[in-house]
Amino acid sequence: MASGVQSSEGIAMDRRGFLRAGLLGTAALSTISLGASLSGCATTPAGTVAHASGATAEYRFLTRDDLVLLRALVPVIVAPGLPQDPTARQAAIDGTIARMDQGIYFFGPANQHELRKLFDLLNFSVTRVTLARVWSSWDNASPEAVNAFLNRWRDSNIGLFNKAYIGLTKLTNVSFYGYRTNWHLSGYPGPPQPELQTLPQFQAS
Amino acid sequence: MSKYDIIGAGLAGGWKVTDASTLTANQVVEADVVVIGTGAGGGTTAEILAAAGLDVILVEEGRLYYQKDFKMDELFSYSHLYQEGMSRVTADGGISILQGRCVGGSTTVNWTSSFHTPDPTLKYWADRFGVKNASHADMAPWFANREKRLNIHPWTVTPNENNAALQRASERLGWAWAIIPRNVKGCWNSGYCGFGCPTNAKQGMLLTTVPGALDKGARLYHGLRAERLVMQGDRLSHLEATALDQDVLNPTGVKVTLRAKHFVVAASAIGSPGLLLRSGLPDPYSLVGKRTFLHPVNATVAIMPNEVNPFYGAPQSIYSDEFVWKKGVEGPVGYKLEVPPLHPAMSAGVLPAHGEALYEQIHQLPHMQSIIALLRDGFHEESQGGQVSLRDDGSPVLDYPVTDYLWRGFRDAYLTMAEAQFAAGAKGVRLVHMDSPLFSRWPEAKAAIADIPLELHRARLFTAHQMGGCGMGEDPKTSVVNSYGEHHHVANLSVHDASTFPTSIGANPQLSVYAFAARNATHLAGRLTDKA
Repeated sequence: MASGVQSSEGIAMDRRGFLRAGLLGTAALSTISLGASLSGCATTPAGTVAHASGATAEYRFLTRDDLVLLRALVPVIVAPGLPQDPTARQAAIDGTIARMDQGIYFFGPANQHELRKLFDLLNFSVTRVTLARVWSSWDNASPEAVNAFLNRWRDSNIGLFNKAYIGLTKLTNVSFYGYRTNWHLSGYPGPPQPELQTLPQFQAS
Repeated sequence: MSKYDIIGAGLAGGWKVTDASTLTANQVVEADVVVIGTGAGGGTTAEILAAAGLDVILVEEGRLYYQKDFKMDELFSYSHLYQEGMSRVTADGGISILQGRCVGGSTTVNWTSSFHTPDPTLKYWADRFGVKNASHADMAPWFANREKRLNIHPWTVTPNENNAALQRASERLGWAWAIIPRNVKGCWNSGYCGFGCPTNAKQGMLLTTVPGALDKGARLYHGLRAERLVMQGDRLSHLEATALDQDVLNPTGVKVTLRAKHFVVAASAIGSPGLLLRSGLPDPYSLVGKRTFLHPVNATVAIMPNEVNPFYGAPQSIYSDEFVWKKGVEGPVGYKLEVPPLHPAMSAGVLPAHGEALYEQIHQLPHMQSIIALLRDGFHEESQGGQVSLRDDGSPVLDYPVTDYLWRGFRDAYLTMAEAQFAAGAKGVRLVHMDSPLFSRWPEAKAAIADIPLELHRARLFTAHQMGGCGMGEDPKTSVVNSYGEHHHVANLSVHDASTFPTSIGANPQLSVYAFAARNATHLAGRLTDKA
């Protein structure tokens, strides 16, 4: 990609200049959140969502735009662990995103705010193109384009991109591999049987 | 056998425990002493004060979770028992902070390792910070006192393979190693200490001193956030506290005012400075929140030829102190070697990769062995620790710069850990670092580690031990509290937790917190009952 791009708003933006100006600084990211809301990005939690897989989930943090974003990212981040069957595959992706939302809910305000800025940056078309360098909208992004984006942020010599890569992948990996249905993927047999069979908290009351 | 449900029985038997989320109207309550925090410092203090006949109220921001909730479920535990749902990090995001947030504090979720404060640390505190009456000889009876109370003994069961590998490596390389003393009674050797002990074996505050205090009539409020301590003249008059909802996230709108003759803050090295700063208490030399230490940790993972099953068995039973003091107390940073338990969510969250690269690593979990190095920070001019400050919403945040001095320590530690794992028979070793391949031989690893870029985020760093920020000493120009945890400027305020340590400990800190809290609480009980 050339170092200068023409945004949809017609503002010439030089990526290096952008970074020098501290676009990724906290204050500027807040501006992106503002830009995101002005440009029509969803800014409120998605609430009750009926997934294509048939399950419904209650979202208390993720917006509808975040869900579109994560439906592109999650299958790439946990690709080798997903089931082959298309229905089961979609259910595994939706379930992972729902657990991510539950986890984020308990993060509390400060880290929710950090994630909000990151998701807004990825959702907002101008920054998606200039900083993530993903050309198509997330619902049209190919797995190859998503993987290339993740690798760019992982391998970047800009620490804030590395940090964002860790944020996205950690949240996804924990919510996927940490869930009982997926324990077999790591070879984890689950809690030991004597405990499960003997301890009072596991006995039906 | 430790299945007996102390908490359930106590609640049924009339303990005065209030779940603040259930309060519907503002309250004013009064006691002799209000203790803020129910972890290692607060729990210990509350039991001793209550036993001395004082009327005690315990205030805990987290909730009361106990055996019925401890189902060996990682995702539940991380969300509910840890600070910020396990997402707490330093200000720049470079170090992940593992810290408890529930009744019992971090002692509810720690891995039970119990060490005396090392002699070089106590000597350094006396020499550099003028800490009094805290020599090895002064402290020995307090360690013995707490070892008895919390059933601390070296682990007698065969170490799991994760720990055995560290022992084997140390023996082959001629390094010092020893068996870890643990605070357990009737332990099942399950491996789930970090999720809340499922068998009631762990002798943390949740099952020892908090019940001990409640049995003696103390009151416990949980789900109640200590907002600010309020001065009247030169003394504290009351604590303003905010009730939180059942998820311990949002205020319900109910306020609780707690009046007392004396206040003990034991809200951790992040929480205690945070509360003092929020309260705007006298701090003429701007010391509160400064010199906060972390035992910053880096890690390596190995693939072993045989099964390790690092998710089962006592998480920590073997340690090596070979490198802690080797280059001098004030020399290059020393580090303690231990192993961490590895469960699927923890492993998936720690390994910095995605897609095939992550899957290739995590699907070998049963064969995975890991070593961690805990850096002894705070003993050098290039290791002055971090600083706690307040966010706009009043919550505390820790800014902790990783200095070149510490990075040199991390590189040394990577080398040591990789060498150890190959010596223990590893087929491959990988640094928990974005740029690390899987090394298949020690010379290859040794050469690569010498050049691996040491940068925030790329090197994955952690802390499970937070210390300092309200350091003790005899000179008000260099310390926040005196050698007994008494605030230099506020007559009826004490601090009894790891925040009072002038440096890091150089070993897992829980027994240091217990011993100092027991000593300081006994001193305080004498003071308060004399006056009565």
